[in-house]
Amino acid sequence: MDHFPTNWGRPRNDAFDAYATYPIHQRPYNGPKDTFADGVQRTQQPIVTGTSVLAIKYKDGVMMAADNLASYGSLARFKDVQRLHQVGNYTVIGAGGDMSDFQYIQYILEELSIDEISAQDGHELGPIEIHEYMSQLMYARRSKMNPLWNSLLIGGFKDGKRFLSYVDLLGTTYSASTLATGYGAFIAQPLLRKAVEGREDVITEEEARKILEDSMRVLFYRDARSMNKFQIATISSAGVSISDSMQLETAWSFAENIRGYGAQTQ
Amino acid sequence: MIMPDMDSLAHPQERRFNPYTENGGTILAIAGADFSVIAGDTRQSEGYSIQTRYAPKVFRLTDRAVLAVNGFAADGNMFVKKVKQRLEWYHHAHAKDMPLRAIARLIQTMLYARRFFPYYVYNILGGIEEDGTGAVYSFDPVGSYEREACRAAGAAQSLVQPFLDNQIYFKNQEAAQGTSHPSHLPLETVLSIVIDSFTSATERHIEVGDGLEIFIALSKGRTLQGMESIRGLQELTVTEDGERLFVMRRDLKKD
Amino acid sequence: MFLTRSEYDRGVNTFSPEGRLFQVEYAIEAIKLGSTTVGVRTPDGVVLAVEKRVQSPLLESSSIEKIMEIDTHLGCAMSGLTADARTMIDHARVTAQNHAFTYDERIKVESVTQAVCDLALRFGESVHDEEAMMSRPFGVALLIAGVDELGPQLYHTDPSGTFMRYNAKAIGSGSEAAQSELQDKWHKQMTLLEAQKLALRVLKQVMEEKLDHHNVQLAQVTPQKGFAILDEVQLKEIIDAM
Repeated sequence: MDHFPTNWGRPRNDAFDAYATYPIHQRPYNGPKDTFADGVQRTQQPIVTGTSVLAIKYKDGVMMAADNLASYGSLARFKDVQRLHQVGNYTVIGAGGDMSDFQYIQYILEELSIDEISAQDGHELGPIEIHEYMSQLMYARRSKMNPLWNSLLIGGFKDGKRFLSYVDLLGTTYSASTLATGYGAFIAQPLLRKAVEGREDVITEEEARKILEDSMRVLFYRDARSMNKFQIATISSAGVSISDSMQLETAWSFAENIRGYGAQTQ
Repeated sequence: MIMPDMDSLAHPQERRFNPYTENGGTILAIAGADFSVIAGDTRQSEGYSIQTRYAPKVFRLTDRAVLAVNGFAADGNMFVKKVKQRLEWYHHAHAKDMPLRAIARLIQTMLYARRFFPYYVYNILGGIEEDGTGAVYSFDPVGSYEREACRAAGAAQSLVQPFLDNQIYFKNQEAAQGTSHPSHLPLETVLSIVIDSFTSATERHIEVGDGLEIFIALSKGRTLQGMESIRGLQELTVTEDGERLFVMRRDLKKD
Repeated sequence: MFLTRSEYDRGVNTFSPEGRLFQVEYAIEAIKLGSTTVGVRTPDGVVLAVEKRVQSPLLESSSIEKIMEIDTHLGCAMSGLTADARTMIDHARVTAQNHAFTYDERIKVESVTQAVCDLALRFGESVHDEEAMMSRPFGVALLIAGVDELGPQLYHTDPSGTFMRYNAKAIGSGSEAAQSELQDKWHKQMTLLEAQKLALRVLKQVMEEKLDHHNVQLAQVTPQKGFAILDEVQLKEIIDAM
């Protein structure tokens, strides 16, 4: 007799642990087995990586930025990678961390979108739903000790509401009016907060773009895994638009005047 | 340069994914005779970075139960989600809200079920018991629990708990000649102790600050005495029996 | 069988064109062959009474067990294929203990009744490659008595998995006569003793043998003492007082 309704209708194994006294992970698994399970590789460290993603809320919606570099360690390996990805009609997902895991996430979200569209039930995936889905996916994967090695920003605009939230390889989530992943969390986030906090409903699209460009410039100056070629995504009532790659004016003349470390001691 | 010792080189080294992190913050709850106060700051951090200034750690479970969760935020959010799911199932199965002590036991079984891959969270459950008394239950990450009059947990536990021991339990205080310490404090006093605890913790602990959320559960028939002077109070629910739940939000320093 | 019900009574999980499950209906019939069992609810507690058919003078009547404890605050009396009741009561006991373990409180009478009824329609159910857990419906009806925060309650369950709450209920072979007698005599403000006497009196009327302390069993669930089967001495007292 199986006294646990949650087990009803499932293949049973009365001989072992009839009263479920064993902790979940020690209980017998009666489902199909993967013969090659032992040979499966897990992401234990990221290989080809993207660096920071920045995002802010502004008057009309959300604006995000990420450069086009995918590094292989310190090697600038791929220089035309898109790290801002549109999902559905209302959402952009930006990724730092392992780029192959990010491509897998894009694939999963594509499947999800197709399923949702096929249903033709009048429900559309918005940024809130996609963030919740990604949170569950990332947390489930970390709980299997097989994480998707990314930090993700999910920005969107639907039903007159802005949305901006974060999720990472541990399943940690949070939202704020300014967000930055990776090195950007140290370098750009303070700049973004200073420019945006309390002014979310005032900042125009032009201003927002300026704030992000300035932050991307600082990141390019300071982050050795960054590149001066990036894209900006805007999500507002007008929908999603991801810009072509662009470059910023930079000035390096100051470098000559830096003294006091490295080989230049005088 | 330090030479690598030969012992550690002899063994294969394994770099393992660490599924946990600490997200800072502090929570606190104090039980009165016919009320319970449950509070938490709203800062979420990792290392020296503030991730957000507003991530709630205190959650309304039922009309008379509030849960504060502190530790690894992803585990905390998932845990609260699962507790709420269990409360809804219980409501469908038994046609009533789960009583506070039943929630406490449920939380134990849910935590212990993950004994060998724990939710890395410290829980404090506060609310009103079926007999109308204010109650606080505190838990460790694997489910050990007890009912107490007050408890602080999280980053500033070591700052706040001794203060509560002194102010709530009157530890190291001698009652004046011919008097004794009260076993329960009035709500007004409790609220100022809570607020003082958090302003102090904010002052001395970098992971505490930004915002403060205080939930107040009142037993049936209790007047609002002690709450008159409080600004920014918001009533959440009134039960048919007359129990009431309030929340108040305050700013804490953001530095 | 000559009078086949057009073959729709073969499969345990096949509806007839009129929308009936004959095997379940037959199971309900089986209860009407069982010994009479009575339950009476009062504000002071619930009384359960069963007739024990002592078919042979060599039979030890004390070995007939038709009232069982589910938990300290829950009792159960049965009629029909009493062997089937063991599975149900086992499930009820585990459910009650599991509830106490998980929630640190006594399970409600309705909830434990629901849990038992959840089992009732699980006959003929199986997952790929496995034998069905139960091949036929239970052939037993239960009277589940208990006390919880809603006070003393009495529930009746049948093989269809239906359950209903009663102030007084009779099941088994003499149930029709017994039920109408209960309808006449039951009133809101009964004392426990009155309920005990009523239950025995009703049994006495429908029993073929003369009622004595060997061929009936009486139990009660009260807020103070919970479930208890009355011993011979207590039973005799009530029979004498009747």
